[in-house]
Amino acid sequence: MPRNSLGLILNAHMPYVRHPEYPRFLEEDWLFEAIGETYLPLLRMFRKLREEGVPFRVTMSFSPTLCAMLSDPILQGRFTDYLRLHQELGEKEVERCTQEQQPCLPLAKSYLEMINRNLQEYFETYQCNILSGFRDLEATGHLDLITTAATHAYLPLYHEYPSAINAQIELAVQSHINHFKKRPKGFWLPECGYFPGLEEYLQKEELSYFQLAAQALVLSEEPVKRGNYAPVTCPNGVAAFARDYHLTNLVWSNVEGYPTDPHYREFYRDIGYDLPMEYIKPYIHSPEVRVFTGYKYFAITGKGNDKKFYVPELARRKVQEHADNFIYEIRQKGRKLAGLLDREPFYTLAFDAELFGHWWFEGLDWLESVLRKVSQTDDMLFETQLDYLKRYPESQVLQPAISSWGEGGYSTVWAGGSNVWIYRHVHKAIERMEELAIRFGDQGSLKQRFLNQAAREVLLSMASDWPFIIHNGTSSSYAEKRLKEHLGNFNVVYENMCKNAVNTEWLVKAEKRDIVFPDIDYNMFNQKSNRNRYNG
Amino acid sequence: MITPNIDALSLGELQYIARKQGLDDAEVLDREELLEALQELYEEQENRLHGEGISYAPSAQQRFMNTLVEHESDANLGLLPGVQRLPETYCETRIHLLFKDPYWAHAYWSVCPADLQRLEQSSEDFSLFLRVAVHESADRLRPADSVDIQVMTTDISWNINLPERGRTYSVSLHYRDGNGNGGMLCQSDTVRTPKSYWIEHSRTLREDEKTFTLLFSSLVSKGGVMVEDPLLREVIEHLDARMGG
Repeated sequence: MPRNSLGLILNAHMPYVRHPEYPRFLEEDWLFEAIGETYLPLLRMFRKLREEGVPFRVTMSFSPTLCAMLSDPILQGRFTDYLRLHQELGEKEVERCTQEQQPCLPLAKSYLEMINRNLQEYFETYQCNILSGFRDLEATGHLDLITTAATHAYLPLYHEYPSAINAQIELAVQSHINHFKKRPKGFWLPECGYFPGLEEYLQKEELSYFQLAAQALVLSEEPVKRGNYAPVTCPNGVAAFARDYHLTNLVWSNVEGYPTDPHYREFYRDIGYDLPMEYIKPYIHSPEVRVFTGYKYFAITGKGNDKKFYVPELARRKVQEHADNFIYEIRQKGRKLAGLLDREPFYTLAFDAELFGHWWFEGLDWLESVLRKVSQTDDMLFETQLDYLKRYPESQVLQPAISSWGEGGYSTVWAGGSNVWIYRHVHKAIERMEELAIRFGDQGSLKQRFLNQAAREVLLSMASDWPFIIHNGTSSSYAEKRLKEHLGNFNVVYENMCKNAVNTEWLVKAEKRDIVFPDIDYNMFNQKSNRNRYNG
Repeated sequence: MITPNIDALSLGELQYIARKQGLDDAEVLDREELLEALQELYEEQENRLHGEGISYAPSAQQRFMNTLVEHESDANLGLLPGVQRLPETYCETRIHLLFKDPYWAHAYWSVCPADLQRLEQSSEDFSLFLRVAVHESADRLRPADSVDIQVMTTDISWNINLPERGRTYSVSLHYRDGNGNGGMLCQSDTVRTPKSYWIEHSRTLREDEKTFTLLFSSLVSKGGVMVEDPLLREVIEHLDARMGG
C-alpha cells in the first residue's frame, strides 16, 4: 500500500533580545514565554513518545540567535527568575481562585504544576541549557536538527549583497556546529523567502535541502511534474521542498484552522490585563506595565468580548477530534493522488515552533496525538526530508520561482510602506562593512575585535524580525530602536576605522552587550577573500 | 481577538491611552468619563472605516490592547544606549531597485550634494526623472523599452510598476535642464519579474485533470481559500477565461 509521508519541520526562532543593563526587560519575555510554553513542553512530549517507543521523525530548525540566547548564562538566570516569579503568582492564584473564582481553580493548579515541572526539568534534566535535550533526541534518531540564517534575515531583499547572504549562511552553519557538534544538512529559509540562485550559497556550505513557500514550484518557468508532493532538485543539486498549504492551513489559519475552535483557550485573555493593578503589580513590569502572565482562564468562545470559562476536558475532546480530522484529510489526499504519482507522496508541513503551546495552547497535545495516531497506521509515516531524499534520490530538476510565505506571496511584508525605509540604511551598512573588510583585511587584536563587532551589528540589523514587527505595528518602537541602535553601533566602528582608530571603551561595552556569535570573522564580508577560501 | 478587561485598567493606563488618542482633557476626566470618551471615539473611527468600505476595522477592545502594548514597549526604550539618528540619505549618487512582488519594485536613491550643486549651477530650472527600462536580457545597456517618471528633487524613493512578466527591469535617475539637455546620474541593478509556465499553457491545465489536481490540491485550503499570490491568481484567471471561452 502506498504510504503518505509527512515531513514536519518546526522552526524555532527568536530575535536576539538581551538587555543585561536592566534588571528586567519586557521584550526578553518573548524568549521566556517560548521556553516555558513551547520548548520545554515540546521536549517533554518528544521524550515521552520516545520512552513509550512511539516512532517519529521530525525536523527542527534552531536559529543561531535563539541558540545563543538559550546558552547565555545571564538569560538562563533570568529565565529561572521568571519561572520563580510565575510560580509565586501561581500559588497566589490558587488561593484567589479558591476564594473567589472556583471554576478557574483546576486550571490555576495545572498552570502552577506546569511551572513547577518546567523549573525542575530546566535545572535537573537540562542544567539550564535545553539545547542538550534536542541534541539528545537527534542522537537517538528522532529529530533532524537544521539551521537557518544567522539572524533570520529575509534573504531576497539582500539579493544585491552576496557577501551578506554568505555571512548569514556561513555563520549559521558555524553556530550550529558549535551548539550541536554536527554539521547541518538542511536550511530553513527565513519566512520561506527564496530567489532563484539562493541555492548556490547553500551549496557552498554543503547544505543539501531547504523548504519553500507553497506556490514556489507551480509558478516556476518550467512545469513541475509532481506538484508539491515530492521535492525538486535545483540546477545545482540542492533539493527544495514546497510547503503543503492545504494541510498546514488546517493548523495555521486564523480563520478556519483548528486553533480557532471556540472550546480552545483564548490567548489574549490573561490576568496580566484582567486583574486590578494592586493585585497583579508584583508580577508585571515596572512601573505599572501590564504583560501576559500565562494565567488565562477563558475559552475563545466567539468573536465578541463575552468569553466563557475554559473547560480543559472539552478542549481535550476537541484535540482528539482535530487530530482525527487531520489524519482523515491526509488519507483523503492520498486517495486523490493515487495513480497520479510515480512515488509515495511527501507532504511538507512547515510551521513556526512557537505556534504549538504558546499561541495555540492545545497545539502540543494535538501534535502528540497526531504523532501517536500516525504511528499506529500502516498508510502514513512521519519522516524527515533527508529520509525521503534517501528513498528517492532522483527528482525533477527545476528552478523554483521567487516567493515567500508572507502576505501576498513575496516581499511586501518586509518591504512595505511602513518599513521599506530600513533597506537604504542596512544596505549601506553592508557596503561599508565590505569596504572595511577589504581595506582592513586580516587584522589582529583590538582592530580585529572592533571589526568583528561591526560585522555583528550589521548582521543583527538584518534580522527579519525588525521589519516584521514594524509592519505588524506592535512593539514597533522597540524594533525601530533596535535597528537604529545596531546601525548606529556599526557607524561608530566605521567612523573610527576611517580614522584608523579603535574606541576601546566603547568596544568593551559593545562586546558585553551583544555577545552573539563569539567566533565571528569579519573577513567573511570580503568577497575576494571568500572566493579564495572556497577555491582553496 | 484582543480583549482586555478594560474595567481592570488603571486610571493612569486609561489616561495614557486617551493622550495617545488626542483627547485634550485626559488629565481632568475621571475613570468612567475616560472609558466613555474612548469607547465613543473608537466607535466613531470604526463607523468611518466601515463607511469607507474597509471591511476590517479593529474593535475598541483591540485598540485598548494595542495602545497598552505600545505603552509597555515605550517604558524602557528611552534608556536604550547608542541610538543615533540615521541620515535621510547618504553622500553618494546612487539608485537601488528592490523587487517587492511580480508587479511592483521599490526604488530608492540619493544624489550627493556635489552633483546637486553642479546641476543647480548649470541650470536654474533643472528637473529629475526616473527612467524605468525593460531589457531583453540582464544587459542593462540595451533597453528594449522605457518609461519616464517625473520626480521632485526632494523625492528619495518611488514604487515602480512592473507591467510585464518574465522581463528584466532597471531604473535610472536622469536630469534635464530647461533647454532639453540632460543625462543619466545613476542606474540600478536589474530585477527580473517571474513568469509562470502555466500562464501560457493554461489550455493543458484545463484539459488535464490529473495535472490540475497535482498542482492545485496543495494550494487551496479546506475552506477553498487559495495561497495568496497575484501571479497564481493570474494563472487561475487565464484558466477561467479559457473555460469561459
